[in-house]
Amino acid sequence: MDVRNELTARLDACQKCNVCTAQCPVAKVNPHFPGPKGLGPDMERFRRGQFIPGETTLDDCSNCKTCEVTCPSGVKITEMILDARRAARKGPHKTMPGVKLRLRGYVLGRAEYLGKLGVLWPGMANQALKLNLVRWALEKGLGISQKGPLPAYGKPLEVIEDKAGRAGVTSGKQVVYFPGCYTRYNEGETGRIMIKVLEHIGYKTIVPNFHCCGLPLEANGQFDKARKNGLYNLELMRPYLEAGVPVIASCTSCGLTLKEDYPKLSASAAQMIGAQTYDLFEFLWLLYEKGELPLDFQQVNASFGYHLPCHLKAQGIGTPALRILRLIPGVKIRNLDAGCCGVSGSYGFKAEKYDKAMKIGSPLFEAVNVGVEQGDFQEMLTECGVCKVQIQHGTSIPTEHPLRILAKAYNIIHE
Amino acid sequence: MREIETQVVVIGGGATGVGILRDLSMRGIPALLLEQGDLAHGTSSRFHGLLHSGARYAVKDAKAAQECIEENKIVKHIAAHCIEDTSGWFVYLNEDDPGYLQLWLQGCDQAGIPVKEIPLEEAFRLEPLLSRQAARVFEVPDATVDGFKLLWANVKSAEKYGGTYRTYCKVKSLWLENKDIKGVYAEDLITGEIIQIRSKIVVNAAGPWSAEIAAMSGFDVHMLKNKGSLLVFNQRMFNRVINRLRTPGDGDIFVPHETVTILGTTSQMVDLPDDNQVKEQDVSYLLEMGKDLAEEIELHRVLRAFAGIRPLYESEDASEHEGRGVSRNFALIDHEKRDGVRGLVSIVGGKLTTYRLMAEKVTDWVAAKLNVTTACRTAEEPLHHEPPADVWNKARQLIGAAAADKMMERLNEEAASVIAAIEKQPELGQFICECEMVTQAEVLHALQDPAVHSLDDLRRKTRLGMGTCQGTYCTYRSTPMLKDTFGSWERTLKEYRILLSERWRGITPVLWGDQLRESELARALYLNVLDFKAVESEE
Repeated sequence: MDVRNELTARLDACQKCNVCTAQCPVAKVNPHFPGPKGLGPDMERFRRGQFIPGETTLDDCSNCKTCEVTCPSGVKITEMILDARRAARKGPHKTMPGVKLRLRGYVLGRAEYLGKLGVLWPGMANQALKLNLVRWALEKGLGISQKGPLPAYGKPLEVIEDKAGRAGVTSGKQVVYFPGCYTRYNEGETGRIMIKVLEHIGYKTIVPNFHCCGLPLEANGQFDKARKNGLYNLELMRPYLEAGVPVIASCTSCGLTLKEDYPKLSASAAQMIGAQTYDLFEFLWLLYEKGELPLDFQQVNASFGYHLPCHLKAQGIGTPALRILRLIPGVKIRNLDAGCCGVSGSYGFKAEKYDKAMKIGSPLFEAVNVGVEQGDFQEMLTECGVCKVQIQHGTSIPTEHPLRILAKAYNIIHE
Repeated sequence: MREIETQVVVIGGGATGVGILRDLSMRGIPALLLEQGDLAHGTSSRFHGLLHSGARYAVKDAKAAQECIEENKIVKHIAAHCIEDTSGWFVYLNEDDPGYLQLWLQGCDQAGIPVKEIPLEEAFRLEPLLSRQAARVFEVPDATVDGFKLLWANVKSAEKYGGTYRTYCKVKSLWLENKDIKGVYAEDLITGEIIQIRSKIVVNAAGPWSAEIAAMSGFDVHMLKNKGSLLVFNQRMFNRVINRLRTPGDGDIFVPHETVTILGTTSQMVDLPDDNQVKEQDVSYLLEMGKDLAEEIELHRVLRAFAGIRPLYESEDASEHEGRGVSRNFALIDHEKRDGVRGLVSIVGGKLTTYRLMAEKVTDWVAAKLNVTTACRTAEEPLHHEPPADVWNKARQLIGAAAADKMMERLNEEAASVIAAIEKQPELGQFICECEMVTQAEVLHALQDPAVHSLDDLRRKTRLGMGTCQGTYCTYRSTPMLKDTFGSWERTLKEYRILLSERWRGITPVLWGDQLRESELARALYLNVLDFKAVESEE
């Protein structure tokens, strides 16, 4: 038995090559940021077993995980940084700005509760968020940037209970859908379309009443709550996992959390979740490879630019959405491959991070603008909700989940 | 020939030598310390980094145990910035000798070493890597000490009181006239100049070289040169010093030292005072021994191996002649009593933990000869004064807390100018050595020190090159600064070569796994990218 945990072992693997820092979107725009290597494995050697109070740059990491994708030695860099943040929160120093930032962490981490509030009366919430005074108050009171592109609320996605009552008993194929807060509260329509698409290809969808996956909580320092959410969600999934029902995520960050973080929780379902979770298009591609994906596509004559979200990149499954969409006659799609959009969850919403986030996203914005100007495409596609909001904020070019194109090809939606 | 006059010449810039220089200076006695290399290049940096509580000697060497616990308290007080008060555990394993355990508890009690038993469950929680073979765990006031910092702090303090020192200045002969010491002849190894130094007293504190110094005038100081090899692991495996509770043996101490863990040691008699190359069989032997305290130790990355020479003193009546059996006590040899030569004293044996006490005894002897009655104050007066909080805060704000804390410990009173430089020119705050987080400003500051003659000296002063990459990146990154300081490109290349060869010497015995990967990267970098030429191995 290796008594060392993974982080310890991986810390030894770091070769100090700095490939991670060379690829880090934050390090590119912020010369004072020590970079993933500095903040991760370098400082980790100093932090081991001893608490170093007052390490302020820990919060500069956007948790995009580009470093982990890049590392040739498999060092869990972002995880080390998150662990250090966890330790720092237990530290003594409580200052006034500290209290404000904690409150902000509380708010930004609670996408779920905000969503529940927002969807009570989406029109009002959206109007309120457009008011300068409200945004000014959010910036002053909570340090949430006035300029940041906060997503709007819409008609929420309904929970779909398993009618049969017992998982796996129903005849026919079924999947469990993990919509995530963004789809659930901000863009329920995407979820509803997805359910129709799954139905079209022969799957019945179950949407249990999940809580937030926990990633925004972690990114905002709410580690205990994140763990509790994970355990709660796992328990909801357990009967389905035991029956071998796949879990589908359409949000790339939720998908990554289910695949990478949940297996570390101490719950029996944690053993299964990693292997049974699929990104939506990953799932569709596997069906295609088995010859089970219906190919009754209509011609869709349109050109798109595609942005690969960082957290999809981190799943290490390539770009299944591109592969699927390219099966549709008439679809032209170009992977812009222009790096992180900058917003990285809630990072770009923070007042002191807004400008940096926009700078991080600028190569992507430029690639989008150039593509549109040259007539290569008129619209953008990306799976991640906040990437989408950020691209629209940075370029004003309409951006959609790639699922919508598939739905058009299947003649499920028509606009 | 240059001539210098002083009252006392101290030979040897190890812990004992600088301790003596400080003590003499504080008592107002003019003194000059001569060191053949850089300060702390010998035994004082080639050890565990352990500030003993004395518990290790509690059974066999009651006097050493008692001296250790007393000095442990004093050094923790006067050199807090060089110490990490980790505490230490003595771990009694399932198959260990219960008789020894009883003797040990009695010994600690008699020596005044506080011992507290730690419940096993608690022990495994606090130190997850501790072997599950552990049956009982006892806590004692061991600590870790940074030999480099401790020496520098002593020298800086001595300088304030008027003490002087010269590094790279090798004593060639003792100057005797009619059985009276008149001083020494020494060679400045940098300029090649011979210097005549006139003094009333000569103190031989040359550690493993003490016998060589005494032999210059035909005196026999019977020193045993005992080589101890140690392994440096890439990260802190434990947060306390971990000792095995048994008759002291090989490979039974783990010391968490700054960012690394050191496992040692071996014990082997050698002939040369600088025989510090570690052999591969020492490494596998240490790993084998270390397994008793930390299972699966071979999974951990070893950065390098190093060795130091224990200068053990064998008094004429010693019945035992084996390394670990010889007392860790020290002895002051008055050559007037022994050899009829006035003004020469040798201080031999001992250990780093008791360096201050050794210095006090020598200085008492010197003071008596010179009729100086000022009392020793080295046990009370701290070696440095805590830098003001605003300097500390500024440093943390500019270069981050982890880097700032380490830099402040190294520089303490000199930190203000380095911080000011970074504040004025923020790019000076970037790290030249990222593994140990050494800033460009600190490197520039250290290079201005007249005692820094080489990149390797710089390493000892700043920890540059001591981390995971073992000099792979920081060496070439320091190029422009080295060139400005040392003048030519050829000299800079030579400095590269010396530092990298020195690092390489420590890496070769542990060349497997992650460290092998790192070395291949370094080789590719220097041989291909920088077009260095490999030198054929002599073997």
